[in-house]
Amino acid sequence: MTTATHRFSITSLPPAVKAVTLPILLILAWQAWTLTLPENSPAPAPAKVVASFLALTASGDLIWSTLQSLGRVIAGFAIAMVCGISLGVLMGSSKAVRENLDPIVESFRPIAPMAILPIAILWFGTGTPAALTIVAYAAFFPLLVNTVYGVSRVDRQLVRAAQTMGIGRLRTVLAVIVPAAVPSVLLGSRLAMGVAWTAIIAAELAVGAKSGSGGSGGIGNMMFIFYAYSVDLNGIVVCMIVVGVIALLIDRLFRAAETRLLPWRT
Amino acid sequence: MVSLMETRSAKELSEIPVDPSAVRRPARATMSPGQLAGRFWRARWFVVLRAFAVFIALWWGVSAWVSSPIQMPTPAKVFDAFLGLASSGELFQHIWISTQRLLVALVVATTIAVPLGFFMALNREANAFIDPLVELLRPISGIAWIPLGLFIFGVGGTLPVFIMAYVAFFPLLLNTVDGVKGIDRKLLAAAETMGVSRRARLTHIAVPAALPSVMVGFRIAFASAWAAIIAAELIGSPSGLGFAIEWYRQLLMSPKVFAFIMTIGAVGYLCDLGLRALQRKLTPWAEGTGIGQ
Repeated sequence: MTTATHRFSITSLPPAVKAVTLPILLILAWQAWTLTLPENSPAPAPAKVVASFLALTASGDLIWSTLQSLGRVIAGFAIAMVCGISLGVLMGSSKAVRENLDPIVESFRPIAPMAILPIAILWFGTGTPAALTIVAYAAFFPLLVNTVYGVSRVDRQLVRAAQTMGIGRLRTVLAVIVPAAVPSVLLGSRLAMGVAWTAIIAAELAVGAKSGSGGSGGIGNMMFIFYAYSVDLNGIVVCMIVVGVIALLIDRLFRAAETRLLPWRT
Repeated sequence: MVSLMETRSAKELSEIPVDPSAVRRPARATMSPGQLAGRFWRARWFVVLRAFAVFIALWWGVSAWVSSPIQMPTPAKVFDAFLGLASSGELFQHIWISTQRLLVALVVATTIAVPLGFFMALNREANAFIDPLVELLRPISGIAWIPLGLFIFGVGGTLPVFIMAYVAFFPLLLNTVDGVKGIDRKLLAAAETMGVSRRARLTHIAVPAALPSVMVGFRIAFASAWAAIIAAELIGSPSGLGFAIEWYRQLLMSPKVFAFIMTIGAVGYLCDLGLRALQRKLTPWAEGTGIGQ
């Protein structure tokens, strides 16, 4: 790695400098490349992306679209949570339920959330309910699978101890099984929220693409409008970055919740 | 595997109680009809069959209740549509197009991600430079690349391949890096002491040691690519399974939509089954082939 002609070796650079080197070089190369293009080229350029970001933020469009998408994700996630966790506890704590429902769950699991979109449009039209369906469907499986896993792995001794002490079945589930399954459920929530955020972008994009200009809003729809109507690639890149940042924030939030709620696990 | 074996034993049970070989298993041969029925009732294949029967019955009930053939076609109509699509060859045509794109994308992603993963894991300096860039790009989902990809590649076959290769890249890379980093340092040191060449150390120690992790990465990559292709084809391609479901949705031919959706699930499931078999074959030494997701 070290080159004899340089007085400083690359290896001695501080880690932070190493981390930003490649991204900065790439952005510079990108900017340099766009400078060679004609003035009216639609190609996105870093400087234009920043300007576009400022303009979209100032007009409030970006924030409003992001909030709209986030709201849908949270609502869809809440639906998935209610269904996924309750069904997961049921399947995890009863072998009969698990054996009978497993084939159905396993045959739906390989069907991608986006494959459900045509049905969702047929049922609910191109508005928010269709998007919510996709999000809830996407988030449902990681929640369910991880809840089942967590519940079925609860220490049998604890369950037996509770039964010995004459605690009823429902209270055993609520007081012993559910708390013991929390780590697994939290992991499932994190995964579910990740796929839910991807799913909402896909759903809004596709709904926008398939319903013409009468899309239902949200950041995915905004991207499609930039693509199809205003041909604003800088705007698209702004949206992509926002999508990435939100995904990162969601992930960090859930990881923080895991360490906060489960301090005994590192 | 398990279900297959159990199916066989259940079959034996019902068919050959008078077989001479059954003498060796008197417990089974002398089972009372009640016990036999109980065993039959609990046999895995029967449970699966029963679950599907209940599901289809419920579906039928709902479709009768909704009584809108566009929103909820009956199972019979969907089955009909499925047979029609299969016999006309249209079904296999779309499956072939989609799986072809999938294969190309996976090959592209693997040829970039796996060597890069080895390079990053074995070279700490390179890792310090490349890893932050990977972590910057990773949160941007493949789906978010669709509008830009549409502009660059246009509507067609390249966009799905690009989106899938992007989506498959990250799990492959991260799992390769993990696998290579997890190599027992003592093995490498021992080989080095014994004068094994760098190349041989790589092919005989690093590659076999990292392979289980790479295979796990490959399975995750496949699963996410298969989910992404539907979105990519639905939005920006004139062919493939993702295109087909949306095309027939617009024509309001719901039975075909349902048939194609079931095909998407079936193809995904069968591919994963194949990958699992490959995983067992290639890396029989790997402990536990289950993945967290």
